[in-house]
Amino acid sequence: MLLLNTDRIVSGVLAGEKQSIARAISVVEDPRLSPESRQIIKGIYNHTGKAHVLGITGPPGIGKSTMIGMLSKMLSQKGHSVAVLAVDASSPFTGGSLLGNRIRMQESLSKFGVYMRSLANRGLSGGLSRSVWDSVMVLDAAGFDFIIIETVGAGQADLDVVYLADTIVVVLAPGLGDQIQAIKSGIMEIADIYIVNKMDREGSYIALKDIEEFLAYSVQGEWKVPVIGTNSLTGEGYEEYISRIISHRDFTGKDSRTRLRRYRYELKLALEDEMKQKIDSEIRRLVNENAIEDMMSSRTDPYTAAESILEDLLSSDSAD
Amino acid sequence: MADGKNQSLFKGRPIKILLAKPGIDGHDRGILVLAKAFRDAGMEVLYAGLLPTPEEVVETAVNEDVDVIALSLLNGAHMTVFKKVADFLKEKNINDISVVGGGTIPDPDKSKLEEMGITGNFGPGTTLSVIIDHVTKRAAEARELKML
Amino acid sequence: MDKVDGDYWKKKIEKLQNDNPGNNPEYSRWKESTLEPWNKKTNLQEKEYINSSDISIKELYNSGDLRKGQEETYLGSPGEYPFTRGIYPNMYRGRPWTMRMFSGFGTPGDTNSRLKYLISHGESGLSIAFDMPTLYGYDCDSKRADGEIGRCGVNVSSLRDMEDIFDGIDLGKVSTSMTINAPAAVLTAMYIAVAKKQGVPLDKIAGTVQADILKEYIAQKEWIYPPEAHLRLIRDMMVYCTENTPKWNYISISGYHIREAGSSAVQELAFTLADGFYYAEMGKKAGLDIDKFAQRLSFFFNSSINFFEEIAKLRAARRIWATVMKERYGAKSERSMMLRFHTQTSGYSLTWQQPLNNIIRTTIEAMAAVLGGTQSLHTNSYDEAWALPSEEAVKIALRTQQIIDEESGMADTIDPLGGSYYMEWLTNKLEEEAYKYFDEIEKMGGILEAVKKGYIQREIAKTSYRRQTRLEEGKEVMVGVNKHAEEEEQPISYLKISPKAQDDQIEKLRKVKKARNENEVKKALKDLEKAMLDEEVNVMPYIIKAVEEYATLEEISNVGRKVFGGWKEPVIV
Repeated sequence: MLLLNTDRIVSGVLAGEKQSIARAISVVEDPRLSPESRQIIKGIYNHTGKAHVLGITGPPGIGKSTMIGMLSKMLSQKGHSVAVLAVDASSPFTGGSLLGNRIRMQESLSKFGVYMRSLANRGLSGGLSRSVWDSVMVLDAAGFDFIIIETVGAGQADLDVVYLADTIVVVLAPGLGDQIQAIKSGIMEIADIYIVNKMDREGSYIALKDIEEFLAYSVQGEWKVPVIGTNSLTGEGYEEYISRIISHRDFTGKDSRTRLRRYRYELKLALEDEMKQKIDSEIRRLVNENAIEDMMSSRTDPYTAAESILEDLLSSDSAD
Repeated sequence: MADGKNQSLFKGRPIKILLAKPGIDGHDRGILVLAKAFRDAGMEVLYAGLLPTPEEVVETAVNEDVDVIALSLLNGAHMTVFKKVADFLKEKNINDISVVGGGTIPDPDKSKLEEMGITGNFGPGTTLSVIIDHVTKRAAEARELKML
Repeated sequence: MDKVDGDYWKKKIEKLQNDNPGNNPEYSRWKESTLEPWNKKTNLQEKEYINSSDISIKELYNSGDLRKGQEETYLGSPGEYPFTRGIYPNMYRGRPWTMRMFSGFGTPGDTNSRLKYLISHGESGLSIAFDMPTLYGYDCDSKRADGEIGRCGVNVSSLRDMEDIFDGIDLGKVSTSMTINAPAAVLTAMYIAVAKKQGVPLDKIAGTVQADILKEYIAQKEWIYPPEAHLRLIRDMMVYCTENTPKWNYISISGYHIREAGSSAVQELAFTLADGFYYAEMGKKAGLDIDKFAQRLSFFFNSSINFFEEIAKLRAARRIWATVMKERYGAKSERSMMLRFHTQTSGYSLTWQQPLNNIIRTTIEAMAAVLGGTQSLHTNSYDEAWALPSEEAVKIALRTQQIIDEESGMADTIDPLGGSYYMEWLTNKLEEEAYKYFDEIEKMGGILEAVKKGYIQREIAKTSYRRQTRLEEGKEVMVGVNKHAEEEEQPISYLKISPKAQDDQIEKLRKVKKARNENEVKKALKDLEKAMLDEEVNVMPYIIKAVEEYATLEEISNVGRKVFGGWKEPVIV
C-alpha cells in the first residue's frame, strides 16, 4: 500500500508548495506512517530553525481566532510570511472532532497568502501531540517567517506549548472571571506577552490593571512582560502588539535559552518515541521466560524484573 | 463502508472532511446536523461556514489535505456552484480529494453532477447512516489515491 | 438597551411556579387503583411520550393540573387582556382568517403579469418573494449571483426592476407584503420611490416588509453587515415609516424560520418573542411612543405536526406578549398588547416520499393554526418538499383552508379547546419554559449578545441534531420515511429557470447604468456614506435619494459594507 514518495514531498515542502506542505503534515499526523514521517523530518531538518514560533493561548471564547486572523493579516501586510496551526481537541470517545477555527479565520487567509491548517490534538496525555511538533518543523522548513500555534485554551496542551514556541502570548478578555481561571490553570506564568482582547468591552481597563498587578508580584526575568489591550475589530493595539513580538524575537535571538529548551524537548520526544518503538518491536524477546519463571517461584517481582531487563537493554545498546 | 480493508485506512488518521455551502444560501439545518453526525462517526470535521466562494472551499480543502469535500445547497444553484468547485480542483490537478453533494437536487441533475465526480447528491430525508457510508467509501478512494 | 427591570423574568417565573399545581391526589389515586393494575394485566410496554419541546406528556390531565387563578388570571375572555383565547371579541365570526398564499419568482416582468392576474381575480394583498442575490444585497451581474438569478424569487437590482414589477398597478389600491430582511430599507425605499413616481401619497401606501434581522442571525442567515448595523437601519426605517407611511408595517417578527432551522416549539416561541421585546425596546430607545408603534409589529409563526403543542404555543405567545408589553414596557393601549400573527404550515414536516401524505400533514397543521387563533394562514403545497409548487398542488392547499373554514365547524366558536385540561396545562408549561429562556437570555446580556455569542444558534442546532438522532433510532416517526416506507423513485418535477432570465436581467442593468447620471449617483452614494457614519442621522431619506438616482442594490449595500463591514457568525458546531 505504501508507495508514498517522501523525496517528492520533501522537495515540495522545501520549495514552499502548499500541496506538499499539506501532504507532509498529513503524513506526520498519521501514527501508522511513522517510518515515512521520520524520512520527511530527516529530509527537512537541515532547513529548520529559521521560523519564529508564536504560541497563542487563553481561555475559550475570548476571540483568539479573530485575533489570530487580524495578527496574521497584519504580519503578512508587513512582508512576513505566516502559517497558522490551530489545534483543537478531539473526542476521547469517538476520535472525531469539529475543527471550528477555520470558520472565523478564513477571510483573512486566502487574500494574504497565509497558510492555515487545523489539527486535531490526539495526544494521549492531553498534552500537545508529537504531530504538532513535526508539523511545525514542516512549516519551518517550508520557509515561513512566523508560525502561529493556537491551542484550545484548556488543559495540558496550553502548558506544553511553552516547549515549542519562542514567544508565548496569553490572551484574556474582560469579565467572566477569566483572569482567575487563567491563574488557576497556570497559564499566567508562561506568558511572554499578555493581550487583553475586546478592549471595547466593559471592564477591560480593570482587567488590564489586574494583570499588571499580578505581574508586579511575580518574579520577572530580563524580559519585561508587556500587557497590551487590543480590539480585533478596529485593529486597535495591534501595532504595539506586533512590535513587541518583533522585539521578543530579537531578545530570544540573543538569548538561546528558549531554543535550547525546544531542542531538548524535541530530543526527549524523539527518544521516547524511539524507545517505545524499540520496546514494542522486541517485547516478545524482552518478556523472557527466565524472568517469568523467577516470578512464578517468587524469586522476583515484576518491577525488579523489568528494571534489570531495561538495564541489560540499554547497556547492550551502548556496547554496539 | 463496512468492508474491513477500507476501515483500516482510517486507523491512523481519521477521515477528514470539509463541509461547505459555497453559494449564497443560509439554510444550514442539514449541514449542521451532518457536522455533528460526522464527528460522532469519528471523523475530523471542518465546517467552512456560510458563504465561502468555491475558490475558498478548494483552497481550504488543499491546505487541510482533506479526504472529502461535502457540498450542500438548497437554493437551486448547484449546477453552477458545485461545478465551479469541481473545475477548480481540476485546474489544480487534484484528483485525491473526493467531492460529495446534497440538497434539493433533482434526479436529472444528479447524473450530470456524477459525471463531474460529485457523488451522493442526497436529498432531504436521507438517513445519516446512508450518508456516512457513502462518505466513508469516497474517503477510502481518496486515501488510496493519496497513497496514505 | 435600556435596563428595564433586571429581575423581571425571575419574579415572573417565581409567580408562575407559585401558581402551579402541587401534587394531584385524584390522578395519583386513579393511577394506582385503576391504571396500573390495568397496564399490568394487559402487559403494557412502557414508552416515553415527549413533544418537540422535550416536555414529557402524562397519559391523563385533570383539574388538578391547572394553575391557581387559571380562569380569571391566565385565561380571561376573547378580546380582553391577556388575550389567551384570542385578540378579537368575535374572532372568525367577524371575518375568517386571511388565506394568503405566498408566491412569485422569475423576472420582474413575470412577476408583474402574475400580480396583474391575481388582482384581476379579486386579490388585493400581494406577496412578493425575492431571489437569493437580492436577499444578500448583490446585483444580478455580480460574480456571486451566477446561477442564482430568479431562482427562489424575483430579482431586483435597481429601481427599474421595482418599477417593472408594479407597472400598471396602482400602489394606492393594493397592499404589498415583501419577504425581505437585510436589504429591507433599500426595498422599502424603492417601493416609496415607485409610489412617488405614480403620484400616490405616502400615507396611502400599505403593506409589510419582514425586516426581522435578529432571526436572520438566528436562523435564516441572510445578512450583509454586523447585527448592530442592520438594527440601526431598521431603527431608521421604523422612525421614518412611523412618521411618513402610517400604513406600512415595518417588522414581521418571524418564528417561522427559527422553527424551520430545526428548533422546538418552545424555542420558536421564546426566541421569537425575545426578538419582539428587543424591537420594542429599540423603538422606545429611538424615542417612539410604545402605543404608537407596537401595534405595527406583527408576528409570523410556524405550525408543525404536533397538534396540541402548536395550539398551546400560539395561545401562550398571545398571553406572554400581552403581559410583558403591559407590565414591562408600559403599554397602555390594548392594541399594543395584542399579538397579531400570520401562520405558515411547516415545510420541515413534509417529505418527498409518499407526497400525498403531505396533504394530511398540512391539514393537521392548518387546523392547529386556526384553533390557535391565527389572523392569516399560508398552507404549503404537497409537492414543496422537492419542487416549486404546481398549480394543482397550490389549489389543494387553498381548498384545505376553505374546508376547515366552511365545512368543519372548527371556526364556529372561539377557542374551542380553551378549558381542556391538557390544552391549558400545556399552554402553561410552554409559557413557563419560555420565561426560563427569557431569563437565560437576559443573563447573557440580552438577545443580541446571545445571538452574537452563538448561544441561540447552538441551542437550535442541538435540538435539530437530537431530533435527527431520534428519527434514526426510530423513537420518532415520519410515515413513509422511517416507518411504513415503500420503494419509490424521487418524483421529477421542478421549475426550469432558463439562463435567459439571468442574461436579460444583466442586459437590463447594463442599460440602466448607461442611462443614469453617474455624477448624481456618486454624489448620492457619498451622501449616504456620510449619513451612515453618523449614528444620529436617519439614513432613509439618503437611501431613497440613491435609489431614485438608480444607484443599484449592490452599490448601496457596498456603501454599508464599507462603513459597517461584513459579518462572520460565531462557531455553532
